[in-house]
Order: sequence, then structure tokens, then C-alpha cells
Amino acid sequence: MTAWDVFLQQVINGVSLGAMYSLLALGFTMVYGIIELINFAHFNVFMMGSFFALWALQAMGFVGQSHILYGLPLAGVLLLALLATMLGSGVLGVAIERFTLRPLRGVRGTAPMITTIGLSFILYNIILLGAGADSKNYANPLPNTAWMISGGATLRLREVLLWVVSLLLMLGLHYFVRFTKMGKAMQATAQDQEAARMVGIDVDKVVVITFFLGSALAGAAGLIFGLYYNYTSYIIGYQAGLRAFTAAVLGGIGNIPGAMLGGVIIGLIESLGGQYIAVRWTDVIIFSLLVLVLVFRPTGLIGRAAPTRS
Amino acid sequence: MPEPHLEPSETTPPAAMIRLHSWIPAIRDRAKSERFRPWLYGLILLFALAFPYIDGNEGDIDSAANALAYAMLALGLNIVVGFAGLLDLGYAAFFAIGAYTYGAFSSYQMQPEWSSFWVPLQWLGLVQHLTPDGGIGTVHFAVSFWLMIPVSALVAACFGVVFGAPTLRLKGDYLAIVTLGFGEIVPIVARNWPYVTNGAQGLSGVTTPKLFGYDFSVLSTPYYYLGLVMIVFLIFVSTRLKHSRIGRAWLAIREDEIAAEAMGVNRTRLKLLAFAIGASFAGSTGTFFVAKLQTASPEMFMFPVSVMLLVMIVLGGIGSVAGVVVGALVLQLLQSWFLQDLTQWIHALGNLTGIVFLQQLDLVQSIELIFGIILVFMMLYRRQGIIPERAAVTALSYDEQNAMPSRRSIEARLAPLHRRTIDPSKPILEIKDLAKSFGGIHAVAGIDLSVMPGTIVGIIGPNGSGKTTFFNLITGLTDPDRGKILLEGEDITGLKPHRVVEKGIARTFQNLRLFSNMTVLENALVGTHTRTSTGAIGAVLRLPRTRREETAARDRALEILRIFGNRLIPRVQHLAHSLSYANRRRLEIARALVSEPVVVLLDEPTAGMNPTETLELSDQIRSLRDRGVTVLMIEHKLAVVNEIADKVVVLDHGEKIAEGTPKEIHSNKEVLRAYLGRTTDAIAEAATAS
Repeated sequence: MTAWDVFLQQVINGVSLGAMYSLLALGFTMVYGIIELINFAHFNVFMMGSFFALWALQAMGFVGQSHILYGLPLAGVLLLALLATMLGSGVLGVAIERFTLRPLRGVRGTAPMITTIGLSFILYNIILLGAGADSKNYANPLPNTAWMISGGATLRLREVLLWVVSLLLMLGLHYFVRFTKMGKAMQATAQDQEAARMVGIDVDKVVVITFFLGSALAGAAGLIFGLYYNYTSYIIGYQAGLRAFTAAVLGGIGNIPGAMLGGVIIGLIESLGGQYIAVRWTDVIIFSLLVLVLVFRPTGLIGRAAPTRS
Repeated sequence: MPEPHLEPSETTPPAAMIRLHSWIPAIRDRAKSERFRPWLYGLILLFALAFPYIDGNEGDIDSAANALAYAMLALGLNIVVGFAGLLDLGYAAFFAIGAYTYGAFSSYQMQPEWSSFWVPLQWLGLVQHLTPDGGIGTVHFAVSFWLMIPVSALVAACFGVVFGAPTLRLKGDYLAIVTLGFGEIVPIVARNWPYVTNGAQGLSGVTTPKLFGYDFSVLSTPYYYLGLVMIVFLIFVSTRLKHSRIGRAWLAIREDEIAAEAMGVNRTRLKLLAFAIGASFAGSTGTFFVAKLQTASPEMFMFPVSVMLLVMIVLGGIGSVAGVVVGALVLQLLQSWFLQDLTQWIHALGNLTGIVFLQQLDLVQSIELIFGIILVFMMLYRRQGIIPERAAVTALSYDEQNAMPSRRSIEARLAPLHRRTIDPSKPILEIKDLAKSFGGIHAVAGIDLSVMPGTIVGIIGPNGSGKTTFFNLITGLTDPDRGKILLEGEDITGLKPHRVVEKGIARTFQNLRLFSNMTVLENALVGTHTRTSTGAIGAVLRLPRTRREETAARDRALEILRIFGNRLIPRVQHLAHSLSYANRRRLEIARALVSEPVVVLLDEPTAGMNPTETLELSDQIRSLRDRGVTVLMIEHKLAVVNEIADKVVVLDHGEKIAEGTPKEIHSNKEVLRAYLGRTTDAIAEAATAS
């Protein structure tokens, strides 16, 4: 492989990772946009999502790479698994909001965020105790189809699928927020909750929908993680979650297109940094970036609402 | 117009003032309940001292020593999170720094080649010269444990400042995320720097402490007693700090940063101080812990450790010294004693009944699940923790409320409000062409104003005319685009708010910015911040000078609170948020006056008060003027302005449209237009028609 091929390969990997981080970052950004809360539970909603998807695939009779599917059957199975996962994690997100965060709405300070840290620990340990500490071989109906491009670099079917699914979900979200009545209500609530309430918007409902959508996207990211890496484990939430959060901050927290862009940037930093610097320093680079952006450009690269408030 | 009193009055606080505490019911009751405290603490200490002899099990003593280490960490985290209100999610980083500082300088990890550079250090006994096979030989670091305890504290404190500095401008959740980032970076650096830390395998063979030839070795008891000494010391330091000028300033920052700054607290310095002191606790604890384990690896300092410490202080009571120690001990002992025993019982039960699930259940592994549940449960149902920072204060009885009938103007025997001598012939405050725009809006568009000492200036104007921005500019909360502010001829433009208070300008806020979870007395005491000087070390030592300063500050605060008769004095131990709206306004004024200002800026002081209360306050404001304080007052109640103001300034769209005595302002056509929105002709017409 030439140097160019290596670079190209890492860009392909980076964009794939980035697409996953973007989906995850959207949940952080949407919730922050509406209720100004950094939701640590989101990390492990993503992790639970990857388990929901695993269980859904297992329920359909897939174990490991026992059945490889092609064409329409593959699309059908994946769509079914995706819908089941998104529904499951969406409901989980709504339950978290309804039972633990709503009672704390309007409480000053960091209490809601501390609650989400607790929730994150609870979800993590439920899976650890319930499913065990070993990493799980994923049920994966995807064929190992790959295409050679420009000499050495390969583009695999799963990468193409990942890009397409992520893009469709993000376009769907964009359409929902921009053009539907509920989406407009979300935008209004993000701008000014009091004013939104006064013009008759049911803010509680908006918050529930926001948690549902954000968590459903995290679930989708969980499915993608499993299919892409071919495993899942109770520990995947923390690292991916923090990177996705960095992506959300990078894009300007509360800003939906920013989260997508931030995700891709973080994905590229991870793959290219790992290639050209050292994998063991990747986290330091990403966390340093997080700190630098928060300190020097808290509105993110695109920017909107400043994340400082009194 | 009454003659302004410009010379400081000669009256000194009456002797009765000094014993003021005794007749305030709330203070008296508290003193009663605190009489038994020393006995309680003595008993606990006695038990702790006797514990190794009572229990005798090496494993239990070891667990207890570990529990003490975590309690020390919780105390340090409590300074940052509980006192200063800065949520630190990466606190374990400082624990790591302390641990590796000792570990690296007291083991065979680093062995640079010997050279003459090391000779003086060898004399000091910090290094040894190793020559196993002749040759030049290598350096063996062998710094004494007892020296490294303060050194690690110092190193960690420096890192506390370094990691704290970038977060100064951030608030709440974002500060937490940045600290989390640092908390992640430190263990990764430890893992990737094998020369100093031996990477992922961790340090090994760390030297154990020796005291007068006695080697602590791997025994548990000496570490237990050492831990006990350290925790008693840290509890002492925490308590002393909390009830000092420094502690009050931290609480003020926690409650309301902007108000704290506007009361003279230098928040940059105090936040960094909190980070440094909090980190220093973790630094020395890290040294203790590593000496006890004789090893250190990056896994010991990851995010879950930071969260565990957070769970400890949340469970015990954020900000409560006794609470966090109890929280830490309960959680640690739960983990190492109770859960282990319970697991064994459950296994036995499983064997008895043949249920495989029970045989394999390991509850010690589920400790993080319990942490999570505790966090959520406490946040939802008991945010103040097991032992709350504040004991509840009973409401006043009807008799107590009416105990002191005096509510009118300030008594003549009151001490001077400030100690400065002011030239009555020169303007005390001069404002020249002051301007500030926000985006395209000229909030203040070039205001000139000259205020003579000992006068009351009323500032009126429609909503949005720039009155509050004008106050913010004078007090340094907002930087002006152009213009100058002179206090007694000295340029104070662009000074930070806390410096402006030092210079002698204090203020109140339109929408009340009290420190809600501090008592009435503590709120007032924050006002003394700029007029007192005790630092962190002074607060811990509490030398006679500090005691005198503290007593004087209390007397001063109580004396000022007394201005409002029995409105505030009987409630000095009540939390500010429990006060009525009018009392909160009074407390804000008192807090401003405690800082010994020569000029006070009152932003709508009578808002929300009924007519009687308004009259009472007008009277009190007038007495402030009579006692040599110059008052600038934004007020919407024109009756108040007409009654007490010597001069009225009218603002509209950021400009001064009129200035004069209340009478002059009444007939000013510009003012009528601004207020009533009619042209002067229409007003004239209306006047002739009637």
C-alpha cells in the first residue's frame, strides 16, 4: 500500500466512525438545545442500544455470522433490527426523562447532570451484571463484500451501508425539525421555553419527543457499532460517548448540523491520529481538543448558543 | 435639605452591641445545641483510637485505613464542589499526581546515571548512590515519606491551579466536562510515560514510611493511625476554612458568582485557591495511599474513582464536613465489609437451596450499581445529603417577631458607616461621556453626571432607558465602550467589580442576588470581605489577630443589620431564601453597607414593598445620606424620589434628558414626553382644556 492508499483508507475509516459519532452527538445536542442538560445517561443508552440490536438479531435467528444475507432480505432484516432498536432505546430515553429528570426540571445547578451520571452507572451495571463482562460476538448478517479502490485501499459494504443509513437518519431528523409542526415546536422551545409555553406549546411533550429521538438515534448508532466492529460489550458507552460529546461541543452544542460535522471531524482525528501519531495518544488529543474548544471557543466551530450560563 | 454629616461620627459601638449575640434567640439556641458537640466528637475519636484493639482483625483494620484515605479525598473534593460549587469530575487526577509524585521519588523506578549533580542531594539524604557492579553507578531516589507528604500536596496544588485556570470562565456543567477531560488525560499520560510511572504495569516496590527507625512495612495498624492523624488534621482544616472569611467567599461564589464579585470577592483568586487546596488534600492522600499499597497503576485513578468520591459527598451532604466523612466511611465500609459478608451469606443460601443464581451473585461487583442508585435517589429525594450542611432553623414566634419595636431611622449611636473623610466641596462621583452598546442598541449613549457627596440622586426613566446598564458600568460588571468614571477624582473606569467595591462603591440588584443558602448574618459578612484580610493560612491558624478581625466583622454586620430594627436581627441565623421579599431587599442593602461604601447604588430598593414598608425604607435611605453615604437610586415610585432625592436624573434611550431638583423635573417637557409618550403640544392642549 502506498502512503496515499494508507491515507485514503484512514479517511474511509474516519468517516465511518464519524458517522457513528454524529448520530450519537445528535442526542447530546438535541437534549442540550431543549433543556440545557448534559446527559451522561446517553453514553449508556447507546451501549444498551447495541445490546437491543443484538437481541433483536438473535431473536430473528442470527448467531455470529451464521446466516449471511444479500439484497432485499438483508435490507429487510436490517430495517427490522434498526426499527426495534430505535424503538427500544427511544422508550428507554423517554423513561429516563419521565421518571428521573422531569422531577428535577427547574432545579438550579448541577443536580440533573449528577442524576444522569448515576443513571449511566445504573445502565452500565445492569448490563454488566445481566450479560456478563465478556465482549459479545455480534449477530451479523452482513456479507464481507469489499471493493478495492485506488490500489490498496478497500471500501467495504458495511461502510457504505453505515454512511447511507446515517445520512438518511440525519436527513430525516433535519426534515422533522425544519418542516413538521412538532419540529417547529422544538425549535421554539429551544429558543425560549417560557415563550413557547405561552403560545400553547406543550413543553413536556416536546422534551419527551426530544429524548425519544435522541435516544433512538443513539440506538441506531449502537446497532451500527455492533455491525461495524462485530462485537459489543458493557464498556463501549463511555469512550464512544465522550468522543461523541466532544463532537457535539466541537460543532457547537445545541446545533444539529454542527453535531454532524463535529462527529466526522472526531472520526477523522481518531483514524488519522491513530495512523500518524499513535493510538495510545488519541484520547489525549481528543480530550485536549474538548478542553481547548470549551475554553477558547465555547460556541463551537459553527456556534450558536454560548454554553456558559449563570 | 438636612445638613449632611460628612465627618465620621465619634460614637463607637455601645457595650451592649458586643453582647448582641446573647439576646438573639436563634443564636442562643444554637449555642445550646452545640454544647454537646465536643463530647460527641471526643467519643468518636476515642472509639477510632481504640478500634484496632477492639477489632483486631488485620483485614478489617486495612479496610478502615483505606476508608480513611477515601474520606480524605472526599474532604478535598468537598472544598471544590461543596464549598466553592465547582463540580469537578476529574478529581482522581490529583490523587494520581500525589501518588506518582511519591511513587516515582521513592522507588527504584527512575535510575538516572550518577554524576556530580547528585552529590548535594545525596548529602541531604534525598538520593542514594547505587554501584552494584562498580562503574559510575546510578541514582536511587529515596526521598523521605514525611517530606513527600507536604511536597505532594504542593505539587498537586500547582496542578490544581493549572487545571483550574482554564475553567475559570466556565460555569456548571461545562466546568464539569473540562475537569472530566483533565481527569481522563492524567491516567493516560501515566500509562504512556513508562520512564516515570512504569506504564500500565504500574510502579512497584515503593518505599514504606519509617518513623524513628520503626518501619510501617505491610502492617495495617500504623497506616490506620497515620490515616487517623491525617483525617483529623484535614477535618480541622476544612472546618476552620469553612467558617472563615475565605469559606464565606467560596460559599458566596457557589451561590451567586456575580453577586459575590459585586460584593468584593475576587473570584479568580478564590476559585484557584479552592482548586489548589482541594488538590493538595488529594496530593497528600495519594502519597499515603501509595506508601500503604507500595504500588500505583493508572487504573486506580480513572473516572469511576472520581464518581465514587462524588457519590460519597452527595450521600453525606454536599458542603457538610461531617457529612462527607460519614458518607465516605459508610460507602467504603459497605463495600469492604458488609457487601462481602452479604455475598457469603447469599452464596450459603444458594448452596442450601441449590439456586445457581444465588451461588454466583457477587454483590461487591455491583457496588457501582449501588453508587448509581445512590446518586439518582439522593438527587431526587434528598439533595442535602444525610447530614445537611445547614441545620433547620425554626421560624420566629409572634413575640420574637415583635421583640424590637424600633423600625424607624437609624439610631444616633450607630458607628460611622465608613471611615473616610470626604471633601464636601468636590463631587464624589464624576461620570464623563459614559457609553455602552449591545449590538446595535445604545444602552448608555454618552452620559455625563456629577454627584456631590452626601446627596441622594434619584435616577428615573422608562423601562429600557439604560438605568441598570448605567449601574453595571459604574460597578465594573460591564466594561464601557468609552467614557470615564471618577471616584473622588480617582479614575476607576474598567476596574473589576471587586476592585470597585474596594474603592468604596457598593450596590444592590434590581432582581435580588442574595446568597440564598447562606444565613442572613453570613450574607452580611460577605460584605466585609474587602475590609478584612485573613487568608487561607490565617483562617486555619486563627491567630488572635484573625479572631479580632472576625469579631469586629460580626459586630459590624450585626450593627448594620440593626438599621432595619427587628426586621432582620431576629432572623440572622435564617437562610436568605426563607426571607420575605421586602426583607430580602433590606438584606441586600445591608450587605452593601457592610462593605463600608462611600457611594451606594440602589437598584429599585422599594420594589415589591407595600406603602408602609416603602415609607420606612425611604426614611432609612435618608438617614444613610445624613450619615455621610452618597446614594444613587433607581426608582420607579416617583413619590419616593420626590420625597427623598436631592437631585433627579432622567434617562431615556440611554441618554440623560434632564437633571435637576424633583420640582424642576416635574415641569420638564422632555420628561413628560418620555413618560407619557405625547408631544408637548398635546400636553399643553390637555392642560388648557382642563
